[in-house]
Amino acid sequence: MASTAAVAVAVVPLAYLGVRTAEAGLDRIVAELWTGRVAWLSLRSLGLAAVVTSACVLLGVGSAYLVTRTDLPGRRFFAVLAALPLAVPTYIAAFAWVSAFDGLAGFWPAALVLTLCSYPYVFLPVAAALRGADPAQEEVSRSLGRGGWQTFTRVTLRQIRPATAAGALLVALYVLSDFGAVAILRTDTFTRAIFVAFDLGFDRTGALVLSSVLVLLTLLLLTGETVTRRRGARYARLGGARRAAARLRLGPARWPALAGLLGVAALALGVPAVSLARRLVAGVSRPGALAEVAAAAGNSLVLALAGAALTMLLALPLGLLTARAPGPLTTVLDRLAYLSHALPGVVVGLSLIFFGINVAYPLYQTTWLLALAYATLFLPLAVGSVAGAAAQAPPGLEEVARSLGRGPWGVLRTVTLPLTLPGIGAGAALVFLTGMKELPATLLLRPTGTDTLATELWTNTAVGAYAAATPYAALLVVISALPTWLLVARSGLLDKDDR
Amino acid sequence: MSEVVLTGVVKRYGPVTALDGVDLTVPAGELTAVLGPSGCGKTTLLRCLAGFERLDAGEIRLDGRAVAGGGRHVPTHRRRIAVVPQEGALFPHLSVAANIGYGLDRAARRGDRVDEVLALVGLAGYGDRMPHQLSGGQQQRVAVARALAPRPSLVLLDEPFSALDAGLRAGLRHDIREALRADGATGVLVTHDQGEALSVADRVVVLRAGRVVQAGPPTTIYREPADPWVAGFVGDAVLLPAVAEAGSARTPLGAIPITGASSSGAVTVLLRPEQVRIVPSARPGTVPATVLRHDFHGHDALVGLRLADGTRITARILDDAATAPVGADVAVRVDGTARAWPA
Amino acid sequence: MFISLRRSTATLAAAGLLVTGLVACGSEDEAVSEPGTSGDKQITVYSGRNEQLIKPLLEKFTAQTGITVNARYANTAQLAAQLVEEGDKSPADVFLAQDAGALGTVSKRDMFVTLPSTTTDKAPATYRARNGHWVGVSARARVLVYNADAVTEAELPASVFELTGPAWKGKVGVAPTNASFQAFVTAITVQHGEARAKEFLAGLKANDPQVRDGNGKILEDVIAGTVPVGLVNHYYLGEVAKEQGTTVDALKAKLHFFPGGDTGGLVNVAGVGVLKRAADNPDAQAFVDYLLGPEAQTYFAEQTFEYPVVEGVTGPAGVPALADLQVPDIDLNDLDALESTVALIKESGLVP
Repeated sequence: MASTAAVAVAVVPLAYLGVRTAEAGLDRIVAELWTGRVAWLSLRSLGLAAVVTSACVLLGVGSAYLVTRTDLPGRRFFAVLAALPLAVPTYIAAFAWVSAFDGLAGFWPAALVLTLCSYPYVFLPVAAALRGADPAQEEVSRSLGRGGWQTFTRVTLRQIRPATAAGALLVALYVLSDFGAVAILRTDTFTRAIFVAFDLGFDRTGALVLSSVLVLLTLLLLTGETVTRRRGARYARLGGARRAAARLRLGPARWPALAGLLGVAALALGVPAVSLARRLVAGVSRPGALAEVAAAAGNSLVLALAGAALTMLLALPLGLLTARAPGPLTTVLDRLAYLSHALPGVVVGLSLIFFGINVAYPLYQTTWLLALAYATLFLPLAVGSVAGAAAQAPPGLEEVARSLGRGPWGVLRTVTLPLTLPGIGAGAALVFLTGMKELPATLLLRPTGTDTLATELWTNTAVGAYAAATPYAALLVVISALPTWLLVARSGLLDKDDR
Repeated sequence: MSEVVLTGVVKRYGPVTALDGVDLTVPAGELTAVLGPSGCGKTTLLRCLAGFERLDAGEIRLDGRAVAGGGRHVPTHRRRIAVVPQEGALFPHLSVAANIGYGLDRAARRGDRVDEVLALVGLAGYGDRMPHQLSGGQQQRVAVARALAPRPSLVLLDEPFSALDAGLRAGLRHDIREALRADGATGVLVTHDQGEALSVADRVVVLRAGRVVQAGPPTTIYREPADPWVAGFVGDAVLLPAVAEAGSARTPLGAIPITGASSSGAVTVLLRPEQVRIVPSARPGTVPATVLRHDFHGHDALVGLRLADGTRITARILDDAATAPVGADVAVRVDGTARAWPA
Repeated sequence: MFISLRRSTATLAAAGLLVTGLVACGSEDEAVSEPGTSGDKQITVYSGRNEQLIKPLLEKFTAQTGITVNARYANTAQLAAQLVEEGDKSPADVFLAQDAGALGTVSKRDMFVTLPSTTTDKAPATYRARNGHWVGVSARARVLVYNADAVTEAELPASVFELTGPAWKGKVGVAPTNASFQAFVTAITVQHGEARAKEFLAGLKANDPQVRDGNGKILEDVIAGTVPVGLVNHYYLGEVAKEQGTTVDALKAKLHFFPGGDTGGLVNVAGVGVLKRAADNPDAQAFVDYLLGPEAQTYFAEQTFEYPVVEGVTGPAGVPALADLQVPDIDLNDLDALESTVALIKESGLVP
């Protein structure tokens, strides 16, 4: 029941798109969609998603393997470093790259920037899975005569497959919805076309009709992922003492490995940092009083926290349902939660304006409607984390608790929630930092007069006051770094070796 | 102290009937073992008792009170039936004491019941440990203590010893039996291990394909199994074709006094290997046999033998390898009576 | 397998923080203001104009009148979409827009009141709505910005249509997604017909233009010398000079105003309209009048480098006066036919 509420929130934009698309009339829809341009944009968007997702899987799995399974020096430091790009919004990264390398534009630069910003979505779950995976299977494989590489491809990769797939799906959907990087790097994608449609002639209807295609593309991705997902793949290891896998000795290979990780970090974090610093030095504009910066930071914090809290509240029942009562209906509910994730923020923003004006007027232009928008946008991030954690806790525990005389609520409070808490924490951290970075929906839905770090950044860069924008950008990244660090710690990547 | 009565319990999962009309009584204060091969429905029976599953037909009464059946389904947490699952399933986020106190109300948690049951399972002083700091056997003891703590009407043990190594298993089995007895608890132990069932239970219920095949004290189950299948399932069995006549059966091993089948004619008789004695040389009442193999078990050994007519039998001997080298010709005789069923 | 107690405690603490955050922001929520009919000394302004540019002006207005302005800043196009979505439940009293097209969109939905002629008459007829729904408050000219090192004055084109010629191949920066570019294309249609507009866009596209995401980026590249010329609005140069702490004259980039009434020299406006909910709100009316008053008009000239629309106010430094520009004879009211322009731009392949 509660899960249905969560899904209802996620499908608000779909309902809105349905209403507005229907208004457009069939002729308009056909005229808008039955063009070579739409086909071309679809292919390009999917192409970009495919390229970025593949690159993120390579980068994410590679760095996760290096920090969890090898004797790489300073691997805990690199674990944090590899997750940190999550704190860098794509629009900051893209802007930095364009500033640093003049004339940078097009498909491949956009793919590069998007990859650098989103590979932690793969890195984090895969690193956690690699740490949790049962080394016995790898040992058996080796004892049966498979070499290191074969064991990696035939056993290890399959063990971490659910984690990899979950991360890859998030990356793919994110790429579909991203506007910041593709706009600055001038890559034609569906989302850019949607934004342009708003700007060009203030064509709301055209933009929304286009958005419905994006929903179809998302549906395509989700179906593909569901079909290829192995059924009932649950790799939780029950009982038995936790044992870490033997670390691979890198030997001389550790130098290229180190260089690789440092290189990625330099591109993902170094380029934006240097570029922002240069802008700060070059310009004379300065941000408003410290109080203004502090107020923006405070607002960002509060809004992102409210968003994270509301999202978790909605995600919890759905995540628990996904983990505890898997079935066709649950799968459908779970997939529905993903549908809005690939919609551009401006469409989700408008749909919540529609919802706020027509259904929840007292909430309109309050923190809560914006928090609801965050929930709509980021529900999958939260549901995934909760379901992942709940799936790791054996359901037998809840039965035991019931047999000891605790009712459903008592069991939820004393067993299920405490055991899912790390997942709830991880989900909240992820939603929090994504919410901090969100701009289009924030602009449309924020309470009038509330500035956040992201909106201040936008305001200043729009008039070329780059130096004034820099402190906001830096603060945004620094504040986002904290939940990122929490995520890393939660994956157990900072723990001392168990041996 | 409660009596549990199951009448005509049926549970289906789609097309599969897991329990097909189970009638069963668990006497108060006793430990009853539900024994059967995997897939016989014993775990389903336990889940129905606990209230994790709803019955499709039949009734379960606890202390005369119907808890399931006839449209009633008392939820698990109101049944006062505590479960000890296979792997203990301790709450990983709670200390040993908190695990044990989980089923107690606030006041009782502060009393000495926690320490009492901890002592009962031999873990006095372990209250502050976390589950991951315990060995497998200790975790299992805590799970039993946790189940006992709220003095439930019934303790359900779901193959609680299967994950432990053999040496540990025997000791723990005994200790837990004693703990249950000392606490006066009524228990149901679900297991596929006939040795476990026979050694700890007051009563054994044999389940096959969702039905009760036999229920009774361990000795009865072992000595007077209901049919040849039960005979084979609860222990090593020598089954011989024979002809019955006036309380005795003519077998390839000679005439043996029988119980069970009263009529005369073709029967199957059951001998336990320990009834077959090997003697060095032929004497009156013995038959010749050849030693085929010799399976050493430490405390005893099973000797495979072939009779003159080709019938193969097994004898259990306290090991004395010299008496029966493989290939040796020996003589065998039978002690005691045999159970017989019409063939 | 399982998390240690210590870690769950940390997470619990984080969850606690969340709750605290919730309580904190719960108390901050402001209710949507009631429609202000009588002057409650408060107005809500949806501003498509940038906060950095306009906020100081709003503060001056408040200081002078005691009327508090609740300003909501966002992209002009998206604010227009928001207003249309909100309909008559919109909390907005005033819409301050970056360009006339966005005002036209809202006007078409009949969401604006008709402003009194005493107000609209302050601006020339070409810079205000014929139906009195909105009025321009500042004007901006389309210009060709050029890098003085790359292009000499003599080489500058007399007409924007020359830019499709081989001499400018690969040299022209454009921002086709920008609203001001669309207005410019519409102006071609109005002045020379759709065929000419189509021809121009095709020629531009074939001439390997330097497409940028916005006017600011074009200007940056022109200053850097990587793009020789670009089609932008005139006031961006002032913004860059401000950020670099210098004057317009000291920059490498110079502005070229197309002469002889060429379409390339179109002058557009940023303007304001009053929403129907504020029909009887004297504060909203006071705000519009303030924007057309001498203080605000001077502010636009000095701080945002735009042309004042009211006569008698001195224009921005470093550029020729509005009166001296040979502006094409186009009524902004005629730039409404946006849909066909949008189709033209989309067909040209200059935008996704």
